[in-house]
Amino acid sequence: MNSPSASVALAAHLALLSSISFGGFPSVLPDVHNFVTANGWVTDREFANFFAVSQVMPGPNMILMMSFIGLKVGGIPGAMASAFATFGPPCLMYYTAHRLWDRFREMPWPQIMRRGLTPLTIGLVIAGGYVMARAADSGWPSALVTAAAVGLMLATRLNPLWILVTGGALGGLGLL
Amino acid sequence: MSETIEAISPAEQVTLGALFFGFLKVSLLGFGGGLVWARRIVVDQKRWLDDQEFAEILTLCQFMPGPNIVGITLCVGSRLRGPLGAVSAVAGFILLPWTVGLALGGLCLRYAHLAVLQNVLSGLSAAAAGLMIATGIRLLMPHRGRRTALLFAALAFAGMALTKLPLLIVLLGLAPLSITVTGIASARAP
Repeated sequence: MNSPSASVALAAHLALLSSISFGGFPSVLPDVHNFVTANGWVTDREFANFFAVSQVMPGPNMILMMSFIGLKVGGIPGAMASAFATFGPPCLMYYTAHRLWDRFREMPWPQIMRRGLTPLTIGLVIAGGYVMARAADSGWPSALVTAAAVGLMLATRLNPLWILVTGGALGGLGLL
Repeated sequence: MSETIEAISPAEQVTLGALFFGFLKVSLLGFGGGLVWARRIVVDQKRWLDDQEFAEILTLCQFMPGPNIVGITLCVGSRLRGPLGAVSAVAGFILLPWTVGLALGGLCLRYAHLAVLQNVLSGLSAAAAGLMIATGIRLLMPHRGRRTALLFAALAFAGMALTKLPLLIVLLGLAPLSITVTGIASARAP
């Protein structure tokens, strides 16, 4: 599917989402998932694959994941447009805020706004994980892997890389 | 390394190239936890900023939308070398890792129809989803005593995960409420 108008629509939607992605990009995953699957651009399985590949790459993995979607929708130009839409608008906001920071950091309302937004962003991150687990779902064994990953991450100081590798290995052995 | 000179005028010591490669390193090493490496390289290794300055930038970036680590990169670059520094640092963070990642990942995804690879990817994404849920739970722990915080986290979760509403709608609906409640609570607090 190499439609320029689809690439533009995707980039525009990502630009909107990145501008409101409080708590980072994981919090917008459910919205992106709904948007691209409803448009028929990406299947559940592909979405889960993009997520998996981007998580094992070093560097800016959410930008990469959005670029894989762009790549599917509109080739290399689509990938570049998605990448820019993901980091461009927040960068402009960061730059402006950094410039103005000295003026508003002593005021109480940024603190109150941040404290008010924090619980929402946390809920959104968990929703992101939940939606990804559903997209990757291939029955109870994969749900078990997700649950085990949650438990190991919370209960041990294991490097998350090993948890990912173990998940991938279990899958490769055909156990999921 | 002459630390005295760096301590006197750190800004003049930092070249755009140093920013580019410094944040390239953060990007490549920052697997799963870019923040730790950003602090280690910016504060401990390069001594571009002290802990206080870094914490201030972190506070600002956590308040903003977008990938926080990119924001930190941008602010450090901007702090040290102005707009060009910001561009160099962000380019270092994104450009090469993105190009390599897109090429390698694209190649890998081209063969995703192969049964073995598909199985590996399914396992990976199931585990990665778990890591994301765990990250959220860990973030929630410090707030577990605040009933309103838990309520709003639950509402945001339900809005996105269960009702499949657009994010904009969920935020427009919940953010003003949550901020108002926080404002009232902090006004009542002594």
